[in-house]
Amino acid sequence: MATALTSVREIEREVATLRIAPGSDVPYLRTSVMTHTAWVPPEWVEAAEDVLTGLAERHPSRTIVLVPEPEQEDGLEAQVDVSVFPTGEGRQIWAETIRIHLKGRRASAPASVVQPLFLPDLPVFLRWRGVPSFGSDEFESLVDVVDRLIVDSTEWADLPGSYARLAEVFDRVAVSDIAWARTSRWRKELASLWPGIANVERIKVKGTAAQAQLLAGWLRSRLGRDVALEHEPADRLEGVEIDGEPAPFPPGDPPLPSDLLSEELDRFERDRIYEEAVRSAAR
Amino acid sequence: MAIAQENPLLEGLQIRRAPDDCILVIFGASGDLTKRKLFPALYSLAYRRLLPEHFAVVGISRTEETDDEFRDRMKEAVQAHSRVWELLASGMRYVAMDFADDEREDRLTETLTELDEERGTGGNRVYYLATPPGAFETVVRAVGKRRSAQGWARLIIEKPFGRDLASARQLQKTIEEFFEEREVFRIDHYLGKETVQNMLALRFANGIFEPIWNRQFVDHIQITVAETLGIEGRAGYYEQAGAVRDIFQNHMLQLVAITAMEPPIDFTADSVRNEKVKVLRAMHTPGPKSVVRGQYGRGYVEGEEVPGYREEQDVDPNSMTETYVAAKLYVDNWRWADTPFYLRTGKRLARRETTIAIQFKRAPHPPFEELSAERLKPNVLIVHVQPDEGVSLAIGVKVPGQGMTIRTVHMDFLYGGAFRTGLPEAYERLILDAMLGDATLFTRIDEVEEQWSLVDAIVAAWARDRPAFPNYSAGTWGPTAADELMERDGRAWRQR
Repeated sequence: MATALTSVREIEREVATLRIAPGSDVPYLRTSVMTHTAWVPPEWVEAAEDVLTGLAERHPSRTIVLVPEPEQEDGLEAQVDVSVFPTGEGRQIWAETIRIHLKGRRASAPASVVQPLFLPDLPVFLRWRGVPSFGSDEFESLVDVVDRLIVDSTEWADLPGSYARLAEVFDRVAVSDIAWARTSRWRKELASLWPGIANVERIKVKGTAAQAQLLAGWLRSRLGRDVALEHEPADRLEGVEIDGEPAPFPPGDPPLPSDLLSEELDRFERDRIYEEAVRSAAR
Repeated sequence: MAIAQENPLLEGLQIRRAPDDCILVIFGASGDLTKRKLFPALYSLAYRRLLPEHFAVVGISRTEETDDEFRDRMKEAVQAHSRVWELLASGMRYVAMDFADDEREDRLTETLTELDEERGTGGNRVYYLATPPGAFETVVRAVGKRRSAQGWARLIIEKPFGRDLASARQLQKTIEEFFEEREVFRIDHYLGKETVQNMLALRFANGIFEPIWNRQFVDHIQITVAETLGIEGRAGYYEQAGAVRDIFQNHMLQLVAITAMEPPIDFTADSVRNEKVKVLRAMHTPGPKSVVRGQYGRGYVEGEEVPGYREEQDVDPNSMTETYVAAKLYVDNWRWADTPFYLRTGKRLARRETTIAIQFKRAPHPPFEELSAERLKPNVLIVHVQPDEGVSLAIGVKVPGQGMTIRTVHMDFLYGGAFRTGLPEAYERLILDAMLGDATLFTRIDEVEEQWSLVDAIVAAWARDRPAFPNYSAGTWGPTAADELMERDGRAWRQR
């Protein structure tokens, strides 16, 4: 097993070494489009790895996975993995994943570790697994150095409470929520009910708490009126009723988690409609 | 008074404009194009849910075939996912007919009416003319006479649109009897390629290129459309067309237009085509010394011996059809005056490649003792249309170590490296655009006429001499006269 790397300089050197194809002095071709950083507490590592599989191929980038381990003795342990994908005419392209375990106090100053590793002049996305530790040193420092924060509020237990904290960062960083992306197909169906839906008073959502809160918040903010929410828990969004009438079911299959993250990595601007939905959900 | 309010729920939703419900009628359904390009494109559109909700396809050809046989044959052309295929196949019909047979034409009209009722397609029609060009006028008359009063009609016409200016005008005259220009979609599938459209993004979405995209900074432009394939059994067509009508008149002149055009005010069909046609009008006819034609003889391609053009099946053993054309053109306008555009296209060349190379002027005075200005390589911006779709920029860098040795390296952007979603096939984009009524990526009749005017002048000059064909071996970069065309100007073709 490769020796763990214990400093940013060692990580940089390892990346440079691995970029040269074995038996060659020619570096692999790299056309990077972003740095993708993921904050992955240990309990989320397995789920995060599942999503990362295949993502590197679609978004050739530098991925930096940060695993905080504050209970451990101070230190940094990293590994670098490279993926090489064939492309046309015998050429190969490269994507790299740097996994860094931030131990002890290093876990509260992650920005100082990742900033030297960001690819210059390219956007930086931060995927935060679980509920962000709003107000903590690690969250605050990372939010200030990235261009977009990606969360999945389906992973949050205390809804809609955490939405109020999330709304506080909207003016500092663009935010994407995979739970919001999952409602996109349904929002299109509900929009097609206009103008009948204009006077809706009650919405019933069978799905996750995040989906229910976000759909209700969206209707309230877009229609400028109060809309009561009834939530029937389910693992996925299975149905929506508007004043007791079932909304049409969107065609096709729901997208995969890696597809949803992949789509969010293509966005660069603030999503004002989402922000207003979150604020309305939090009220 | 109630005021109609816009739907606030639509804001922020990414809703693609969907084509109206319609029937796609393919004339020439037993042909190679339908199987190789059109059906894979249709299937891909179906898979990506981009086809209209109510949709049907009617294949028409002289070959006798049942609906099921047609479906089976087309299924072979796609890697069918059962659910998607079943949906597409349920709206597929086949009508065997001669295009000038009144009785069969009535049968087609009946089939279309039945489908309107069955599939809810509302009388909307996209007629795709994938027949040999000789049948275009007959088909246009046949569908024009029976145009439904209900719904809209659009006509997609494959290239070549005529075989010279006079025949193009004749075909246009027939079309105008039944269709308006906004209903006509002349295909040049190169315009559907992502990398060709990327030329517009490269030029007009980046601040750094446009200020130097002119005669002051550009030394010359080279456009290469090179194929390693021969005529692949299409002697009947190719003997009539040759390289100048097959590739030069359409694809190459469109690539010149896109490279040289002024920024359009927006990306609507007429804005873009207005700018392209200005370039085509500004091209002056090259003199005989500025055009080289060639024909391949026996040679080797990828290690395999291949026959010469005159030895190909069904080709006249004394054929004077050109399989290679190179030309030096000028675009006489403020931006490009005196800047040559070198174009070359051919079959059985050394490598398959379509590129647009913008060669910039050399640095005027390198302040390094070891290096004279002549030895400095110029910067070249290369748009790789195919293969290796992308863009590369050749720049000079210092070789590490003592002294100041400069070496040219390439900064590469590779589509496959940055976006792993796969580039959609040109036909997917074009069929969908025609269904949507967006003609931006189709050629307008004034463009076609300008292109034919130029080509007619070239062909007229050829009537006065008879070159010694074959004049290049298969698997090489074409006749030596093409190299001499460049050498006379102190230049050379790229990457020999």
